[in-house]
Amino acid sequence: MASFSSSNDQEDQVLVEEKSFARTLIMNRPKQLNAATDYMISRFWELFLLYEKNSNVKLVIIKGKGRAFCAGGDVAAVVRDINNGKWESAAIFFRREYTLNYLMATYSKPQVSILNGIVMGGGAGCSIHGSFRVATENSVFAMPETALGLFPDVGASYFLSRLPGHFGEYLGLTGARLDGAEMLACGLATHFVPSVKLPSLEAALHTVDSSDQAVISAIIGEYSELPMLKEQSAYHRLDVINRCFSRRTVEDILSALEREATNKVDGWILASIQSLKKASPTSLKISLRSIREGRLQGVGQCLVREYRMVCHVIRGEVSKDFVEGCRAILVDKDRNPKWEPPRLELLSDKMVDKYFSKVDDEDWEDLKLPPRSNLPASAMAKL
Amino acid sequence: MNAPVDPYSAGFPNRHASPVFLLPPPLKPLLLRRKSQHLSGLHFASRSPATKLRSPSPRSVESPSDSPPPTMDRAFWRARVIKNHLTQDPCTQTRSLSGAPCLDYSPPELAEPAAAFDVAAMRALLDGHNVAERDWLFGLMTQSKLFNPRRVGGRVFVAPDYNQSMEQQREMTMRRIEFLLERGVFEGWLTAGTAEGELRKLALQEVANIYDHSLAIKFGVHFFLWGGAIQFFGTERHHVKWLRDTENYVVKGCFAMTELGHGSNVRGIETVTTYDPRAREFIINTPCESAQKYWIGGAANHATHTVAFSQLNINGINQGVHAFIVQIRDADGNICPNIRIADCGHKIGLNGVDNGRIWFDNVRIPRENLLNSVADISPDGEYLSAIKDPDQRFAAFLAPLTAGRVNIAASAIYSAKIGLAIAIRYALSRRAFSIAPNQPEVLLLDYPSHQQRLLPLLAKTYAMSFSANHLKMIYVKRTPELNKTIHILSSAFKASFTWHNMRTLQECREACGGQGLKTENRIGHLKGEKDVQSTFEGDNNVLMQQISKTLFAEYLVARKRNKPFKGLGLEHMNGPCPVLPQQLPSTVLRSDQFQVDAFHVRERDLLNRFAEEILQRQAQGERKEHALLSSYQLAEDLGRAFSERCVLQNFVEVEENSPAGSLKDMLALLRSMYALTCMEEDASFLRYGYLSTENAAAVRKEVAKLCSELRPHALALVNSFGIPDAFLSPIAFNWVEANSWSSVQH
Repeated sequence: MASFSSSNDQEDQVLVEEKSFARTLIMNRPKQLNAATDYMISRFWELFLLYEKNSNVKLVIIKGKGRAFCAGGDVAAVVRDINNGKWESAAIFFRREYTLNYLMATYSKPQVSILNGIVMGGGAGCSIHGSFRVATENSVFAMPETALGLFPDVGASYFLSRLPGHFGEYLGLTGARLDGAEMLACGLATHFVPSVKLPSLEAALHTVDSSDQAVISAIIGEYSELPMLKEQSAYHRLDVINRCFSRRTVEDILSALEREATNKVDGWILASIQSLKKASPTSLKISLRSIREGRLQGVGQCLVREYRMVCHVIRGEVSKDFVEGCRAILVDKDRNPKWEPPRLELLSDKMVDKYFSKVDDEDWEDLKLPPRSNLPASAMAKL
Repeated sequence: MNAPVDPYSAGFPNRHASPVFLLPPPLKPLLLRRKSQHLSGLHFASRSPATKLRSPSPRSVESPSDSPPPTMDRAFWRARVIKNHLTQDPCTQTRSLSGAPCLDYSPPELAEPAAAFDVAAMRALLDGHNVAERDWLFGLMTQSKLFNPRRVGGRVFVAPDYNQSMEQQREMTMRRIEFLLERGVFEGWLTAGTAEGELRKLALQEVANIYDHSLAIKFGVHFFLWGGAIQFFGTERHHVKWLRDTENYVVKGCFAMTELGHGSNVRGIETVTTYDPRAREFIINTPCESAQKYWIGGAANHATHTVAFSQLNINGINQGVHAFIVQIRDADGNICPNIRIADCGHKIGLNGVDNGRIWFDNVRIPRENLLNSVADISPDGEYLSAIKDPDQRFAAFLAPLTAGRVNIAASAIYSAKIGLAIAIRYALSRRAFSIAPNQPEVLLLDYPSHQQRLLPLLAKTYAMSFSANHLKMIYVKRTPELNKTIHILSSAFKASFTWHNMRTLQECREACGGQGLKTENRIGHLKGEKDVQSTFEGDNNVLMQQISKTLFAEYLVARKRNKPFKGLGLEHMNGPCPVLPQQLPSTVLRSDQFQVDAFHVRERDLLNRFAEEILQRQAQGERKEHALLSSYQLAEDLGRAFSERCVLQNFVEVEENSPAGSLKDMLALLRSMYALTCMEEDASFLRYGYLSTENAAAVRKEVAKLCSELRPHALALVNSFGIPDAFLSPIAFNWVEANSWSSVQH
């Protein structure tokens, strides 16, 4: 990742196409799998606000160049800030990212995200909150944060917790990957369109002159198919997932999975156990609590809480697993992170509580979300 | 039974289903107009355009634009909408009926000021303990189809289907219990044995109770009454044999105490047990119809075992009430020989609980089935008890049952919270009448009279919430010395909190108008569900009389033996009587010192009056018991004064323990509202002259002022109750969309 990109390079990070009433935003960092930079996020924010006011815009389409829609936030830059002792700059990145997520979740015009490739972390944040999510046979979805020492953020505690049963806990804790068919089955995607049909779908969307959700839905529907779930799909295991991932604590979830594994030999269960054992114990505990709290909160509250959490993560007071995870996975690539604390039982409730409390710094403030007049039922914050 | 066999199979997007079954609910109405192939959707992300106000007639010159311009005054815009509505031709009017609502719903969150205090911290203070565990159980229920999620107005609500038959509701309750069991909710409930474990149990019971009273009662009988009886009345041999099996529902227990002829007067029950030394068996018998066991939760359908309460007759001597384990059904659910069971039938609420009646026809049970913590029988039939006095024996026997009252007191408050959260959210979005012509209609909660109806009840609910926490804390850390305090406090709080709940629900029901009657809006239905709390586990009136009786006993000890009052918070009786100021400006009325003094003056005077009246009656030759009964008016006043003083005291303690800041300020406001409301409502203050008529009027005025000061915080205050949206009701949110024509069509 280029650390000193010229402003021209930056401008190329988001390409904009205008076709009658439709605007298409293309994330254009294909080599970095379109990892979202601070610039991209700010540019999206600017354009989304502009389009909302412009009555000549009825529809916003988002896609990615190359084999990824967006593989997440540009954490390399964030870790650089943390290592330079500038946790405040890292916090600004997350603040902008979460505010954009909120804008999308409360957007008054349809947003169609074409998820023809990798959708992870921050990529999910700038698509799943929008009204239409089109998966294809190339889609790969995951929230892999627990393996990085982070937690599923960008409003994931909101959308994961609303998946059927306890599928969200499963995805958020293990970082398991889904294909397009699975995304559709669990509701992360609203449509499945084979990638060969994408050009005609986009052409059809370019002719739209309405912001009516039903009109857009009908158009996408014309190109949609019902894919078969693969036989090995985790979605077929929803009953096992519900039995295990509904448990109260991460420790209980692990022992429930281990009980299942003794009852029958099953590669999928062993893989899930493996993922949990490899993930940061701190990440697992705060992620589970975040999803559980998110289930009872509006999307705005989820983002406010996640912002508190991420500030604690980057300040590294309880655990520095995020920096360690990025080192092991992204920088040194030895894939052998040394988590601290290294085991679940070493994390007390008090340590977990800390992540959910206000940051103890005079200049720090809770995330302030912009007032939105178009508050959908789902976005309303109550508690 | 038509419940889904697998809670997860029904209603989820299924890859084999045709697209039309995969429609995300919010888009359904639109798709009726436009055929499309929209596929599965997340529950949360689609926004229904129906919430937006649309032009009723595209041709009309006056028609408003799609949405109010941000600069345009909302009221003015609304007036235009209404005007337009009235002036359009009938043809377009018909069209607008099927399309857009004419008054838009505006979420209170948009108009109300941001919370002045930390709502999460307030919730933690109200819940008191195990907040994360509470959320876990809330989440378990919202994520399972077994808890009957329904989508209304773009939101999912969970509540039992009360339109099911009684038998179906009972079956569903049992299935939900099995689900919670399987998910580990009941782990350690009878085997953990720690104060933390007990608090966790109470927290989870309160949450289940927020979902459905039947659910909480049904497993409450099993764990707290049947399980509690084995724990407290039984000894090692019973614990080993029954507790783990109870926790895992290998046995399903019930609790056969009440009879047709005897409820609160347990000592009068007529069931008789004798002992056969040759067979080493007890013989338990229902000698007459009034001795049939009545209201036995779990008995009608599911229970396999019961704790039967009975007089124990040994060699012709009645040793008083004892408890025995009796099996009433076999593992296949067949009723055992010599047991007859009948149903109690349909009730005004709680139809998910299978209340039954039991007759014992000389049922023989092993000697070991006597729960023998207080008394036992030797194999050859000799009665053995460490406690010789039958009165004391009986008291020791029933003391552990306090758990039920602690439970009820706490759960009643959660029910009042549901009612208030719904009614206040509704009052912040529903308008009625304009004050002047051409003015917009006024929000219900902006009417001072509406504030006066709901906000004092809100403050009382806060106060009682803190007291319920206090009671739970001393209950789980109980010692023999605390038994009397726990008994008296649990009696006082059980009675006053359940009465408060019923009153609050009725007020909230009326505050929601006809909407309050709809079962889906919960409040009306809760009245039927919760009414039973006023009489079960001790009739409220009987409990309140016990308080005065106990206070009288304390009085005698202190005055006759010239010892200071100690315990039950009566120490204030030892000092000089506080003097209330002649002038009561706002600052005085709102000071905790004044409020506490006023409550002390009342309690002290009422106790003195009560005691004097009884002693006088006794001096005139009346028996003490009779004198106590004759002085029932003062007894009632005193019971109330004691209970309200305890609650105020707990409130002041919570406030003192809070760090300075906006939350503490809010607590002070609520505490003043609580104290002054009590003073306004209790005629004793005027009747016995603790307040002059002038000062009583000042108190009343101050309550109105407090109403207007609490009004801006109403939303944040009910949000702090921590009841998830899914457990409230459609009128708490977008009631226009919830009732739109398009919602009728799917």
